[in-house]
Amino acid sequence: MARITKSYKTLTDAQMIAWENLAEHARGQSVFGQAAELSGINLYVRLNANRVMAGESIIKDAPEQLVCLPNVAYDKLWVTTKNIIIKGITHETGYKLVIKMSAGQSAGVSSGWSKTVILSPGMEDDWGDADMTYLYFKTIGVKPVVGEKVFLEMYWFDPVTGFTGQSTFDSKVCETEEEAEQEGYVKRNKITMADLKPDSHVSECDVDFSTNAPVISFDTVCLGHSNVASSEAYLEDELPEDCIGTSMALARGMGDGNAALAAQSYIIWLRNSSWEGTSITFAHRGGYYVKPTEVFGPGILY
Amino acid sequence: MFNSTGNNFGAGSIQFKDYQAENYVVLNAKFSYDPTNAAYQAADVLEIYVPDLSINRSAVAGVILTFQDRYVYSSYTWNNDGGTAIKSWIKDKNTICLEKFTNFDDKGEITIFIQALYPMLNQPGSTIKGTRTRINMTQETRYLYWSSDTFCVIFEHWVFLHMQFSSCSYSYRNQPWEAQMGDFPTDVNADVPFLGGSNQYNPSVNGYSLAHVENGVFTCQERMSGFDSTGYDPFIFAFLVRDGE
Repeated sequence: MARITKSYKTLTDAQMIAWENLAEHARGQSVFGQAAELSGINLYVRLNANRVMAGESIIKDAPEQLVCLPNVAYDKLWVTTKNIIIKGITHETGYKLVIKMSAGQSAGVSSGWSKTVILSPGMEDDWGDADMTYLYFKTIGVKPVVGEKVFLEMYWFDPVTGFTGQSTFDSKVCETEEEAEQEGYVKRNKITMADLKPDSHVSECDVDFSTNAPVISFDTVCLGHSNVASSEAYLEDELPEDCIGTSMALARGMGDGNAALAAQSYIIWLRNSSWEGTSITFAHRGGYYVKPTEVFGPGILY
Repeated sequence: MFNSTGNNFGAGSIQFKDYQAENYVVLNAKFSYDPTNAAYQAADVLEIYVPDLSINRSAVAGVILTFQDRYVYSSYTWNNDGGTAIKSWIKDKNTICLEKFTNFDDKGEITIFIQALYPMLNQPGSTIKGTRTRINMTQETRYLYWSSDTFCVIFEHWVFLHMQFSSCSYSYRNQPWEAQMGDFPTDVNADVPFLGGSNQYNPSVNGYSLAHVENGVFTCQERMSGFDSTGYDPFIFAFLVRDGE
C-alpha cells in the first residue's frame, strides 16, 4: 500500500487531474459496494491496491470512466468436510472473483464476516464453479468440522480498471458429504491436485470428465520419474466406473533443453487397481519425450 | 462448412469443415498468416471471427502450428520444417482464439492446422466412452511399419485419428509413401500434420511433414530430413470431420 501511495507522486499533473476528475464522479456513487467519498489519491490507491493484490501492475492513467460491476449471481455455497465450493456462478467475461471466507465458527455466530480472509484475490469461475477446497486449506490451515459455520464474502473485480462490485454475503454450516448429497449437492466429476496423493509425478492436475462428450479435458503438468517416459497421478479415492478406460491427448514440452517445446501424444490409463490403488498414468507416445510436459486439451476416451 | 467473417491477424478468409453438437464442436481448417503483418504484431491473442457456433465458450483444445525451414545446398535440400502444438479455445459464439506463439515468427509464413474438438465443461453428464478401432495399414509391397497405437475412434459425424510411425524399409525412405487404412472411414479427406523427427536447425521442436488422408488412403509425399531419428517418433493427432452424404 505504501509503495502505491508513494508512486502517486511520480504521476504527471495531467494524470493527477484525471484521477481527481474520476474521484469527483465517484463521489456518492456505489463503485466499491458502498457510497464513496474519495479524493484522487484515494481512488488511485484503492484501484491499484485491488490490481496489485490480484497480481496486476500499477496503472498510472486513470480509467476513462467509472465501471459498475454486477453482483455475483450463484446457486449455492456448499461446505462439507471434504469440499468447499460455490456452485452455479453466472460467468462474467473479463471479471475475476475475489473470495473471502472465515475459519469455522460456532453455529450460533450470526455475523462472522469480519473474520473472513482473502482466499482468492482474483480467480475466474471454473465453468460456474469456484472450488475453494484447496485454497481454504492452504490459507486457513484446517478444514471446518461438521456443525461449524463458515462465512463467505465475494465480489467481482475488473482487473483492467481495478474497480470492484458490491459484496455478496453468505454463510453455511459444515455438513457431511452424505448430508450435502441428500440436500442436492452433486460433486463434479473432476480430478485436481486436491484429490492426489503427495507422491504423484505431476505438479498441476486438472482432469475434467464433466464434458458430456466423448472426451476428457486435460490440463496436467507431467514431471516424469525414474527412467520411464511416464508420470503417475495417485488418487486418494476410487474413480467412478464410467471414468475407467484409456485416453489419448496432445502435449507440449515445457523443458529448457533439446526439444523443449516438442509436441507429443500421450496415452492415459485411468484405473482402479486392488493391488496398486487408483491412478492415472500419463505415458508418452508420439514426438520427442520431454520433462516436464504439459498434457492439455481434449483426450478421446475409449 | 462455413467461412470465417474476419480475423485480427491479417489472414484471409478461412474455411472450416465443422460438426456442431449442442455441447461441443469439431472444427477443421488449414490456413496461413504472415508474422510480419502489422495486424498480427498488434494482437495479443489471435482471433478468428465466425458465424454463430452452437456453443458460446469452450475449454482449451490443441491445434498445430507449422513452419517451413529449408537449406538448399548444391544438390540437396536440407528440410528443417518444424511444428508444435498451441492452445486454442472458443471465447464466445463468434470468436475462436489461438495462443500467439511467436517462437518461429522469423521463419516466414506460419501454417495452422485446426483439427480439434472443443468441449464445454461442467455439463450435466460425464465423458462418453467410444470404441477404439485399430487401423490396419496395408501395402502391396510392405515398406511402412506402424506402432500399435495407430488407431481411430469412429463417430457418426467425425473421427479421432492417432497414427504413430515405427519404421520404413531403407530403399523407400525417400520415396512418396502410400498405404491403405483398413477399417478407417473412407469419407474423411484432410491434410494432416505429421509431427516428429529430429530438427537440427530448430531443436526446440520436432520436425513437421505433411501427410494426407483421403478415401481410406494415407499418403505422404516427402518427409523432413530428420524424420526417422530414433526417439522422435512421428505421429498424427487429429479430430477429423467426416464428409458424410
